[in-house]
Amino acid sequence: MTQPTGASTSVELTIATPEGVLFRLPLAGPASRLYAMLVDIVIVLGTVNGIGLLGYVIFAKVPGFGFMVITLAEFAIGFAYGALLEGFWNGQTIGKRLFHLRVIDQAGLPLRIEQAWVRNLMRVFDALPFAYLMGGISVLSSPLMQRFGDRVAGTLVVRQTPLAVPAEESWMRQKYNSFQEYPTIAVHLRREATPELAGLIQDALRRRNELAPYARREIYRELAKYLQSEISPFPDELVERLSDEQYLINSSGILFGDQRPS
Amino acid sequence: MILNLERFQVQARPRWTSLESLLGALESRPDRRLNPAEAQQLQELYAQTATDLNRVTHGALAPELRQYLERLVARAYAELYYAPPTRSEIWQPRRWLRIFRAFPETFRRQSRYFALAVLVTVLGCALGGLAVRYDPASVDVLLPADYLRNPGQRVHEEEQGQGEHRNSAQTEAAFSAQLIRHNIQVALLAAALGVTFGIGTALLLFENGIMLGAVAVRYTQQGFGLFMTAWLLPHGVFEIPSILIAGQAGFYLARLLLHRREDRNVRQSMRDWLVLVAGLAMMLVWAGIMEAFFSQHHAPVLPYEFKVAVAVAELALLTIYLLLTGRRETGAKAR
Repeated sequence: MTQPTGASTSVELTIATPEGVLFRLPLAGPASRLYAMLVDIVIVLGTVNGIGLLGYVIFAKVPGFGFMVITLAEFAIGFAYGALLEGFWNGQTIGKRLFHLRVIDQAGLPLRIEQAWVRNLMRVFDALPFAYLMGGISVLSSPLMQRFGDRVAGTLVVRQTPLAVPAEESWMRQKYNSFQEYPTIAVHLRREATPELAGLIQDALRRRNELAPYARREIYRELAKYLQSEISPFPDELVERLSDEQYLINSSGILFGDQRPS
Repeated sequence: MILNLERFQVQARPRWTSLESLLGALESRPDRRLNPAEAQQLQELYAQTATDLNRVTHGALAPELRQYLERLVARAYAELYYAPPTRSEIWQPRRWLRIFRAFPETFRRQSRYFALAVLVTVLGCALGGLAVRYDPASVDVLLPADYLRNPGQRVHEEEQGQGEHRNSAQTEAAFSAQLIRHNIQVALLAAALGVTFGIGTALLLFENGIMLGAVAVRYTQQGFGLFMTAWLLPHGVFEIPSILIAGQAGFYLARLLLHRREDRNVRQSMRDWLVLVAGLAMMLVWAGIMEAFFSQHHAPVLPYEFKVAVAVAELALLTIYLLLTGRRETGAKAR
């Protein structure tokens, strides 16, 4: 039902729902998890020291009992912080929320309270022999980037950056498209271009400002040349008047936009 | 066929927005229960959005839109297929008190792993005891601490009240907290070492057994058997079983990991591990209190016979608790 897929930049978990829909969840890498953990450690230490100071004042007359209460409270907070927050706050601790991470069940569902406790209690093993070495080795060797606690509890940590509906692209909104004057060739372009090729054109246009001028010129030239020679030979007198970029903008207008060849 | 993205987005955007706002409302609700109208709406919107996702995945290369739809479908999927416990129920104290019954029930249900833990520890005890008995030189290796090697001096110090732990309630309280923390850490480690397929758990129990056997034989050899019994048993009758239960949890975890696919009810099995750990932690709190406040007092303040009698009473209560609590209900359920 679930299987990890590797990509160049990140590892993803693909989940197939009973309805036959596939969706991917980006898994969190060790670095962001480490940062989130450091934030959590600072928070726990802050809380514990705060309680310690408070206890010191309250139990000033009976320091031994004060020490007892503080020691046990610290110990309990160390484990309960992660377990309770993850269990009741949608799989996030404060550190995880800051770094847009979330713990979920392996099947893509929210994690259960038992799972939150198990994965946090298992930290005693993942932290061995020092500095979470065991957990780190486990994350790097696991296809789902799970530490041992995650493997036992059946959970994983996903990246969850907030997303909005992507805005329309400016290049999609051009009014006039000279390619529409050659409907036969335009229809041919629509029919012959594979989704991969169409995506490539779209991507090249979208990343216009990320590309170095030289690289952009080269890529646009290659793409336009390929389209012109292999797929949609528009008349030379038209093509000569267009830059490579305009050629691609027109093509993507034909491919994606409402400018259907009439 | 390449999708006409522009027209498609204009048509579909309203349903994405309404799914998003429905999900936002559900996720912020603590118990996450749906009423029938919401459930139907969620189901419909989920199906439509999933179809949209399929069309975008196969009909266009629009990575951002695809990511957005995937996120939306993932969230809706999670809400539809997740059967949450009601959170208001979780906060009822009576639910938490169930642990006192669940612990002995789980202990009995998984008793064969307890037997395995006992076996490993007894083997360790035998090895440690025999080594000290027949090879006095091994004492230096097995018992690193001086007070364990030379009980005579320690017993004298303890009886004179010159031991490390003076009889002040203050220091005793501090000492008990340290003991509780340390013991729970060790026990939790034994339970977690189950992920090494039980090998780590077995080694830890075995080593513990060797120490126990060696100390027992050493003290008895030198004629301090009664002192040692009175010194160790009042807390040992809780401490030793709790380490054994930690071993039980560890072996149980190992078995769980080895046979994960057969085990359909992972949730119940994980709960069993948690209940064992929670139960042994409670036992160790008691053991820590006894060790600091009671065990460290020796004759003539507390006669040894009295301490041993207390230990025996504790053990009897613990046995009754572990073997009998909830038995009738479990039996009735089974029938």
